Amino acid sequence: MSHYKAPLRDMQFVSHELLDMPSHYASLPGYEDVTVDVMDAIIEEGRKFSEEVLAPINHSADEEGCHLKDGNVTTPKGYPEAYKQYVEGGWPGLNGDPEFGGQGLPGSLSIMINEMTGACNWAWTMYPGLSNAAIQCIGKHGTVEQKDIYMEKLITGTWTGSMCLTEAHCGSDVGLLRTKAVKQADGSYTLTGSKIFISGADHDMAENIVHMVLARVEGAPEGTAGISLFIVPKFIPDAKGNVGKRNAANVSSLEKKMGLKGSATCVLNFDGATGFIVGAENSGLKQMFTMMNVARVGTALQGLAMAEPAYQAALNYAKERLAMRSLTGAKNPAGAADPIIVHPDVRRMLMTQKAFTEGYRAFLYWLIQKADVVAKGDEAAAKEADDLMAFLTPIAKGFVTETGFECTNLALQCFGGHGYIKEHGVEQLVRDCRISTVYEGTTGIQALDLIGRKVLGSGGELLKKFTKLVHKLCEASKNDAQLSGLATVLAEKNKEWGALTMDVGGKAMENADEVGAASVDYLMYSGYVVLGYFWLLMAHKASEQLASGNGDADFYKAKLATAQFYFDRLLPRTLMHAAAMRSGSANLMALDADHFAF
Amino acid sequence: MTDYRAPLQDMQFLLYDVFGIEQEWQQLAGMEELNRELADALLEEAARLTETLIAPLSRPGDEAGVRFEAGRVFTPPGFVEAWKTYRAGGWIGFAGDPAYGGQGMPRSLTLMVEEMMHSASNAFCMYSILTSGLALALKSHGSDALKSRFLPLLYSGECAGAMCLTEAHSGTDLGLLRTRAEPAANDTYRITGTKIFITGGEQDLTDNILYLVLARLPDAPEGSAGISMFLVPKRHLNDDNTPAGANGVSCGSVEHKMGIHASSTCVIHFDNAEGWLVGTLNNGLKAMFTMMNYERLSVGLQGLACSELAYQKSAAYARDRLQSRAPAGAVNPEQAADPILAQPDVRRMLLTQRALIEAGRAFALYAGMQLDRARYGKEDNKPRARQLAALLTPVGKAFLSDRGLECCLEGQMVFGGHGYIREWGMEQLVRDARIAQIYEGTNGIQALDFIKRRVQANRGEHVGWVISDMRAFVAAHQHNLNDYAAMLSASVDRLESVTAHIVKAGEADANAGPAAAVDYLAQFGYVLYGWMWARLLVAANAHDDAEGRYCLFRRQLADVYFKRLLPRAEMHAQAVESGANSLMAPSMDAF
Repeated sequence: MSHYKAPLRDMQFVSHELLDMPSHYASLPGYEDVTVDVMDAIIEEGRKFSEEVLAPINHSADEEGCHLKDGNVTTPKGYPEAYKQYVEGGWPGLNGDPEFGGQGLPGSLSIMINEMTGACNWAWTMYPGLSNAAIQCIGKHGTVEQKDIYMEKLITGTWTGSMCLTEAHCGSDVGLLRTKAVKQADGSYTLTGSKIFISGADHDMAENIVHMVLARVEGAPEGTAGISLFIVPKFIPDAKGNVGKRNAANVSSLEKKMGLKGSATCVLNFDGATGFIVGAENSGLKQMFTMMNVARVGTALQGLAMAEPAYQAALNYAKERLAMRSLTGAKNPAGAADPIIVHPDVRRMLMTQKAFTEGYRAFLYWLIQKADVVAKGDEAAAKEADDLMAFLTPIAKGFVTETGFECTNLALQCFGGHGYIKEHGVEQLVRDCRISTVYEGTTGIQALDLIGRKVLGSGGELLKKFTKLVHKLCEASKNDAQLSGLATVLAEKNKEWGALTMDVGGKAMENADEVGAASVDYLMYSGYVVLGYFWLLMAHKASEQLASGNGDADFYKAKLATAQFYFDRLLPRTLMHAAAMRSGSANLMALDADHFAF
Repeated sequence: MTDYRAPLQDMQFLLYDVFGIEQEWQQLAGMEELNRELADALLEEAARLTETLIAPLSRPGDEAGVRFEAGRVFTPPGFVEAWKTYRAGGWIGFAGDPAYGGQGMPRSLTLMVEEMMHSASNAFCMYSILTSGLALALKSHGSDALKSRFLPLLYSGECAGAMCLTEAHSGTDLGLLRTRAEPAANDTYRITGTKIFITGGEQDLTDNILYLVLARLPDAPEGSAGISMFLVPKRHLNDDNTPAGANGVSCGSVEHKMGIHASSTCVIHFDNAEGWLVGTLNNGLKAMFTMMNYERLSVGLQGLACSELAYQKSAAYARDRLQSRAPAGAVNPEQAADPILAQPDVRRMLLTQRALIEAGRAFALYAGMQLDRARYGKEDNKPRARQLAALLTPVGKAFLSDRGLECCLEGQMVFGGHGYIREWGMEQLVRDARIAQIYEGTNGIQALDFIKRRVQANRGEHVGWVISDMRAFVAAHQHNLNDYAAMLSASVDRLESVTAHIVKAGEADANAGPAAAVDYLAQFGYVLYGWMWARLLVAANAHDDAEGRYCLFRRQLADVYFKRLLPRAEMHAQAVESGANSLMAPSMDAF
């Protein structure tokens, strides 16, 4: 079962030491009061809630799943009670607008809390997490009346939200959607259609659910240009926000899934449901995308949140499980055998998990720090931060979830046959984590966004903004005996990154297929270099702390050892991705479709 | 939902065009009668059986799982009837000794049938594969009396088999096991102890079950040198071998697992159960391993089998699913979107699967041929074949099952969100394929066996044989291999230098080999897959219909393999060369 302990020391290393969040907050209007003490107190409360309330109902929820009866969804045992405590603790509104009952704390602080809640119970964390999208859409594009009705209810967690995009025939290609909206005399719309894969479209945890629905107004243009965004509440509220009559939006079935069984994945039917448009007609997709970056970082976080408890479980097991002797002499001579952590290959698996997990934490906290700047920084800083975020978000989402899933599999492997059995909980982490590579845009879709829209679309400008940072860091490390080796390697990769980009870009001008043929390898290549940057950054900080004699020397030495491991064993994976990219599109596209028959 | 279709054409292409198997069979003792006509008839029958009888059991079997009730295990609906048909076909004794009612087929053919069985239903086939495996161990190490009494029961599927090795505290390290065997009257022994993770330990397919149990005599030496192997029936047998009273064997529970839900994984208690010694005392582990060496390839085949189905389903989905437009212009302009097969990245996922599957099957056949030569070949050739088989076996188990999971994941990804939903069957393939990386020795254990016993122990000599064979092949077919000849040669050179490196490093540091093991095995695997693609390519070019669709596709796949997948060998080489220090230097607390 769960032995998860919030990794407070590493969280503090990244937040307080590496990224100096306290100074960062002090520099942003509205966040000045968030001192180290405030942060630590909030994180401590989040830790308690996660470990004590959410962790105990994670495995049982996987066993039990959700239930549908007469159109009503019942969540697993303990879910509604945990949600009640969450609301009472004021967690839903942590970074919400104070004007609507929120506490106005930075988004970066929420990510740290979500790392812990997610690590203990990602399926449960989905429900409150989905409200964020609704809050952002309404907050940014809603009318004053809409804000008055919905914002406070959502921010305080009295109501929750859901996002309704996918239809049976349209997933990645949203332009194909068919759900129809017809304008009524009172300005509202009547929606008809069916949405699938809707997380949290119904549950028993809050008094109302606010569905954010993409639909097509009668007579709208075809494709993505004809999509509008609607608020479709489960119960239609009056002007004061009191819930009224039941809307014609009903769950007809629940999907049976590989994992994340505590999260209800619904088919939601709109049978003449009343909806209220958000913003202008036909601008729905744009509005939806305004919150995509943050949502995608939230999904990237799943890679970290699953890898961390998997690593902890594997580590505990590797220290306890006795099998065989160390090849360099018994390490536990009193026992019948040595703990398996003495075996090099078990260490390979553990170090891989550790290097990824700690690397993700630095990467994602840094990224969400940029989101704070986008929200509160001055115009120039906000633009700079927004550009970096635009570039790095698809990398975070694609790379962290893909390799995070790999980490959960490595943890399972450390357990041997016991990992395949449900009672240890590691196979659940594998199953739960798998979806993170799929939803909010598959890895393939992230890769197209990265290379197509972000890199080539900006003529390489967005990439350059980041490679400049890498370059500066490598230069700054050149004369440090301990770091110069790493810096040299990273500088080479950084250079190659640019060359590969030029190569693909050049070929793409001749042949549009070249982009897709390189995309996922490009994303993974980028991910390894980005993590290399954060490992060098951490090595820098660790080396600085060691030199100054601050804190726990063993902690910083472990950081340096893990950085070395990352450069020795994981960064070389860029080789295969570079080769695959360079091979071009011909080997994929030459054959006609019939050859794929069998 | 797409049903499984046995890849007969691929199998035949490999057997006859790539490996010239008929000539090979001619050289094997007892296989002289086997020819293409007979083999094709058997393959077609296996295809029919797996497609129509077994494949339909897979999805419902996953949903229903096995049911445990008061010590009894019930398999999912349809399994009992299917078992009857299946065993009547003689498939359980397909590789069995003809002297005891087996069919005596070589590994090179049985592995094709096994692949089909596992594609159709991994879980169902576990009951059969364990029975065949037990029969093999008994045939190799049992007395004549045990063999003549029990082999016919196993080959006919009247009794099923289960292998009892693992205990709660002892899995990888079997030397720790505690199950006791006390000598009793009439050359029998009394077995007492508890075994876990026993596949098919209890089921409702057969009236009796035979267990092969590792246990320790009271005065046996400690550790692995004190382990003996026993044959223990679930129920005593009457003189006509029909089941009689209970024999002190009971099923305590079944495990709830990530996948293969229809395969029972049992805790089995032996309480003073009567059994017979198989082989000699204190030789049990060695005896078990000779059998496992032969069978480990089967586990690799499970990964391959899941991949084949994953490819079939994802290729069909990619052709049907309309979503977005092709980047280079609409290919399906009369409809709202193009099939996702028009997307380069979807093709990457499909072709990666296909290139790995076909190389994997070729590799399995190549390894199977060594096993055949070692057992049935000319005496002069046996020692070399035995060493090659020992070298290739851990790779066949680990590399094929690792690539198997990779392919299933790619197949699942082609489906997007639908791949995560149970009804499409893709997530089941992922869950079912996952176990192949673990049982019969985790892939980490395979890699240790490989690097320590198969590479370092003979200072790379046996790898050198394969390297020479690969170089000879490239030299003989240089003109036929175009640019690939140089790519393959370079990867072979790297394999040679990394092998020399690791042999040398191992002399100075006991941790050097184990620290490199998994990456070295993967490097070896990718280079050998390269050789397999070279062989497929040469056969495709020499084919009567060399310009036809089939051969054209093989050429394309070879291109994908050499340009996109073979480069992975180099990253593994670099990980090997990075040494043990980054793994072993951190203190335990540093984790």
